[in-house]
Amino acid sequence: MFVLFEHDDGNALNVSYEMLGEARRLMDEFNGRYALDEKVIAVLLGQNVRELAYRAIDAGADAVIFADHEELRYPRVNLYTKVISAIVRDRSLVKQAAQSTSDEYVKPRYMLFGADSIGRHISSTVLAELESGLASDVNKLVIDDVTITHQYKTNGKPELYKHVLFMYRPDFSGFLWTQILCLDNKNPAIAREYSPQACSVIPGVFKPLQYDGDARKRVEEGYARIVEYKPEFNSDDLRYRIVRRQIIRDEIGLEDSKIVVAFGRGIKDDPEDNIRMIEGFAQLINAKVAISLPLSKQPFSVSSALKERYLIPARVVGSSGKKIAPKLYIAIGISGAMHHLVGMKESDTVIAINPDPDAPIKDESDIFIQGRLEYVLPILIESIKGMGSS
Amino acid sequence: MDDDDGEGVINAAVMVKLEPDLSEGNVSYNPDGTLNRSQTKNILGPHSAIACRAAMYAKVCYDAWVGACSMGPPTAEIALKDAMVICCADELHLYSDRIFAGADTLATAETIKHGIMKMGRRIDLVFSGHRAVDGETGQTGPQTAWKLGFNFIGNVIEYSIDLRSRMINARRKVDLPGLYTIIEDVECPLPALIALDPSYRDNYRKVSERLRYARLEKEARKRAEDYKSYLRIWSAKDLGVDVRYIGLAGSPTIVYKVEKIPKAKASRRAKVVDPNNVEELREIGNLILNIALGER
Repeated sequence: MFVLFEHDDGNALNVSYEMLGEARRLMDEFNGRYALDEKVIAVLLGQNVRELAYRAIDAGADAVIFADHEELRYPRVNLYTKVISAIVRDRSLVKQAAQSTSDEYVKPRYMLFGADSIGRHISSTVLAELESGLASDVNKLVIDDVTITHQYKTNGKPELYKHVLFMYRPDFSGFLWTQILCLDNKNPAIAREYSPQACSVIPGVFKPLQYDGDARKRVEEGYARIVEYKPEFNSDDLRYRIVRRQIIRDEIGLEDSKIVVAFGRGIKDDPEDNIRMIEGFAQLINAKVAISLPLSKQPFSVSSALKERYLIPARVVGSSGKKIAPKLYIAIGISGAMHHLVGMKESDTVIAINPDPDAPIKDESDIFIQGRLEYVLPILIESIKGMGSS
Repeated sequence: MDDDDGEGVINAAVMVKLEPDLSEGNVSYNPDGTLNRSQTKNILGPHSAIACRAAMYAKVCYDAWVGACSMGPPTAEIALKDAMVICCADELHLYSDRIFAGADTLATAETIKHGIMKMGRRIDLVFSGHRAVDGETGQTGPQTAWKLGFNFIGNVIEYSIDLRSRMINARRKVDLPGLYTIIEDVECPLPALIALDPSYRDNYRKVSERLRYARLEKEARKRAEDYKSYLRIWSAKDLGVDVRYIGLAGSPTIVYKVEKIPKAKASRRAKVVDPNNVEELREIGNLILNIALGER
C-alpha cells in the first residue's frame, strides 16, 4: 500500500500521519489474514525532506521512497505526477524498499492520497496516468473478498474478487454512504486489470498511530527502509513555474474563537432576517459565525452583502471545511449530518436550537432547545442584553 | 476572429455539467435527509457556471473562441444553453450516447478528451469547475487535463494570458487543512486546463473590457434563444472513442452499495429544553454570557 506523504515545504499535513496510521492497521490485518508480507510505503517528494522520511516511518510506514530536489520543493501537479508514477512503477526501486515485492510487480495494489488541495488533484492525474480507479473523499476503508455479479465487469456471472478495498464515501447530503470498489474487468470481451485501487482520504477522519520515535533505530537495524529516487525532469515540465507564494492568515478565525455560532438550512423561512439576527447575536457574545456545508452552496436568495460575507466555503464547519473545538458551539437550525458533526464534536459545550426532536445534532449537544430559531433566539438575545446591562 | 490557428488567437473550451439544483425551493429531500432526485430540478451546476464566467473573461479580454461541452443525457443541452448565456459560447457540444452512461471520472475524462480534440480547432485552454455538487469528486478536470497532455492548474482564483509568449499566469488558492492557506502565483505555457476555485472573481479593470463584456452579454442572450443552431450532439461513434474506455465498460470503479450512514452513538446526552420555558432560556443566556465574558 502506497501513501503519498503530503507536506508544505517540510511542514507535514496531519492527513499524512492519519493515512499512514490507517494503512498500517489495514496492512497488518491484510498480512495476517492472507499470510502475505506486503508493506506500507510512503512516497515523499520535496526539498530537504530526509528528516520527514523518519517521521513517516514513525507514523507507520515500513519504507519510504523519497525524491529530494529543489524543483520538487512545492507541488506542481504535472511534475509530481510524473515523478510519483515513475516511482511506483520502478520495480527494482520498490524491491529495495520492500524486499518481499514479487518479481511480477507492475503497479501498486493500493494507493492513498489526502482529499485536500494537494492530494485531490495529484491523485486524479496519477490515476489517469496509471489508468486505474480512484474514489474521492473516503472516510472508511475495509479490505475483503467479495463475489460480484456485474453486467460489464463479470458479464453477468458471479466472480470472486480477492483483496478488494472497500472505499466508503459519504455523499453530499451527509446521510448516504457509498461503497466504491475498483475491480478488474473479468469479462473476456473487455478484459482489463485495474491497479492500484486508490482513493483520497478526508483529513481528520483516521487516527494516526502513537508516535514511538525510534525510526532511526529501526532503519539502522534494517526493519525499516529509506530509499532515494533520483528524478529526471523534462525541460517542458519545468516551464510551469511557481512565481510567488504567500501564506495568508485565515481572515475569519473560526479555529481561534472561543465561541462559534453556526447556522444551517433551518434559516430558510426568512434567510435575510435570520442571518442578520444571528449576526447580531454573534456580535453580542463576541462569537465567530460558521455555516453548515449546504449553505456554502448559497441555496437562498439573500442580499449579496450577506451572501459574500457568510455563505462562503471558508465558514464551513465539517469534514470538507474547518474542524474546530471552541469552548462553546451554538448550532442554529443545523440538522447534524455526519460531515458536519466531524467538524464540531470536539467542542467543550454544545447548544443546539432545532425544532426537530430527531435531528442528529441532538446526540452531539449538551443542551438541545427544541424550538424554532425565530422564536428562541430573540429571547436569548434579550436575556443576554438584560444581564449585560444589569 | 474566425482565423483558426493564427498567432495570438486563443481557442478555449469549457466543460460543464448538468446537476441537481440544490437551491431552496427547487431541491427536494426525502424524509431521511437524502436527495429526492425525481423531484429535484436539474440545472447548470454552480461550479460549471463559474467556469463559464472564466471562459467569458477569455472572450472579453483575449478575444477567445469558446466551445462549451458537456457529457450527459439529451436533457443536458439545457446546461449548455445556460452556459451559453454566461460565456457567449460560439459552439455547443453535447456528448450524449447511452454507452457513455454510468461512467466514473476516468471514463468521463476519456469521452471529454475526445470531444475537445474534435472541436475542429487546436484548443489552447480548457476551463473546468471545481467539482460537481452531486458527484463532488473534483477529479474529472485534472484527469481530462492529463489525458489531453495539458498542464493542469487547480483552485484558480484569477488568471491572465500573455498572447505573445502564449503563457498563462494564474493565481491559486491552496487550503492546507490544519496548516494555513497559500496564495500561489504560477505561470505555465499553453495548452492548459484550469479548474476554477469557488472564490474565482472576474475583474474587468478597463472600461473597454466592461463595454465589450456588456456587448457580449447581450449577444449571449441572443444566441441562447437560438441555442439549438449552435448545438452539435455527438455519439460515441461520432467521437471515435474506443468503447472499452468509456461508460460503464471503461470505468475501473463501480458503486457497490449505497447505505444510510448509521447514526453515531450519542456522545453527549442533551438536556432538552422547551422553548416556552423562558426561565430556562434565561439560564442558558446566562451560561452563554459567562463563557463570553470569561473570554474577554
